[in-house]
Amino acid sequence: MWNLIPVLEQYLKMRQLVNYFRTSIWTLIRFVLVISLILIPLGSFLSYSFFTVDGTDIIHEFSLFNYQEFLTGEIYIKTFIRTILLALTVMFICILLGYPVAYFLARYAGKYKYSILLMLIIPLFMSYIIKIYMMRSILGFSGLINKVLKMLGVIEKPLEFFLWNQNAVIITLVVILLPLIIIPTFTSLEKIPKNIIEASFDLGCKPFQAFRYVIFPIGLPGLIVGSIFVFILALGDFVTPQLVGGTSGFTYGKIIYSNFGMAFNWPFGAALASILLIVSVIIILFTNRLTEKSKT
Amino acid sequence: MTKLENYTKYVMAILTGLIVAALYTPIFLTIFYSFYKTRKGKVDWTSFSYEPYTKLIFEKQILESLMNSIYVGVVTVICSVVIGFYFANYYHTSKSKMKEFLQFIIFLPFLLPPIITGLSLLIFFREINLPRSLNTVVIGHTIFVLAIVFKIILNKLETLKPSLMESAYDLGASKFQAFWYVLLPNIKLSLIIAGLLAFTISLDETLITLFLIGNDTTWPIKLWAKMRVGFSKQVNASVTLILILTSFLVLLIASIISRSEKKITY
Repeated sequence: MWNLIPVLEQYLKMRQLVNYFRTSIWTLIRFVLVISLILIPLGSFLSYSFFTVDGTDIIHEFSLFNYQEFLTGEIYIKTFIRTILLALTVMFICILLGYPVAYFLARYAGKYKYSILLMLIIPLFMSYIIKIYMMRSILGFSGLINKVLKMLGVIEKPLEFFLWNQNAVIITLVVILLPLIIIPTFTSLEKIPKNIIEASFDLGCKPFQAFRYVIFPIGLPGLIVGSIFVFILALGDFVTPQLVGGTSGFTYGKIIYSNFGMAFNWPFGAALASILLIVSVIIILFTNRLTEKSKT
Repeated sequence: MTKLENYTKYVMAILTGLIVAALYTPIFLTIFYSFYKTRKGKVDWTSFSYEPYTKLIFEKQILESLMNSIYVGVVTVICSVVIGFYFANYYHTSKSKMKEFLQFIIFLPFLLPPIITGLSLLIFFREINLPRSLNTVVIGHTIFVLAIVFKIILNKLETLKPSLMESAYDLGASKFQAFWYVLLPNIKLSLIIAGLLAFTISLDETLITLFLIGNDTTWPIKLWAKMRVGFSKQVNASVTLILILTSFLVLLIASIISRSEKKITY
């Protein structure tokens, strides 16, 4: 009978070993999945940025040629800065238009707030390409805007500055990305209990003060998250500038994309994208800290 | 309420109305052009017809791209929900420090500009000699929507009490039984919401797809190609049908969410 105990111990040890083995296999699967599908592709694209191209062959040798090209070819830095400014403009217009809407929905829309919010969310999932295509016909020379302005007698000749330039890119991106700023801002504004606002009034706040010191800080994290989404998506977009931007409206994303298409210079495209990646990661980490701070 | 506040309230209401109108104008125009013809920039009001919709059956290319999109969407939903649940469950139950790192990695493709996810997968597939096809698009979409699916399922898991699974084990359920009879019915709705959302996003994903698509076309890519020559009325008709489908999906998601919020969860 007592002989069984060591056997049992042995058995338990085996079980432990099997269990240990099993969990480590699952851990392995987890890491293999994430690493092979996300990290290795990112790594391979970063390493491509150090390769060079010879005709249609990619030379797998380390070189800083692409980065030198970026720094010396003035056009790339210029376009990059211009694209950042463009994305910032889009972001600020989205904030200017989106914040009042989110504020209105959260505070005054009452029982209709979710229905209106839903109406604002639906276009987000509706065909991206179609929106750009239709914006083209709205902004164009004989488009909707010019027709309406002409009908109202504001202008005599159709205006040309709506299409095939930066303005067109900005307007189209705002129409596409606006819901992205309204949704998170609304969610954080909605959390503010009514009695906090009332308390601030009781304590003698003027409406503007209540907004400045009570409502705005609480709604800030949502606004920041939304703004960053808009900024990053506007920064990397290459379809919108291609379709409405014309020749003067090309952006950094479009240059990257062209290196993977016609120009067939993958390593250089990868180098340009690496710079975009670094900027995006810095912004994401910075925002993360900012929202953590504003939460406390 | 002060007079000023009242005033700003109305201004904001008007702004909201204008923005809703601006967001829907492109969409309504598409629907409009699928029914009416225009001649020299003027609308011919007598030209109303359903014809483009019936003619759509003969547009093999459009239909094929639609079928491809639906195939990609369905497979993406299956992959992303399975993997997303797996990681959410791991994140929820594990005490390991690595889980934060894993969550960060999962969120990367969602946070970075889509162009980076697209081209990094493109380069990766070239290096491992995987030819581009609809399946590579599925991988791209899965990685892109994984973060959202993960987050939705995780949020649901966090509302469940730990005692739920513990009591299942105490009553002698095996791991699989506890999952199938206890956990799954409780998180079913979040899986459905996550899946529908993944499908809706995949159906319209363009930026990543452009890099990963080979000789096949999904629906947005077909539109992108057709755009250079201008849209035929059949294209507008197909767009209208897809718009109806996506709005239906979004409304369905919203109604499931609002209904599940009313229910008491254990």
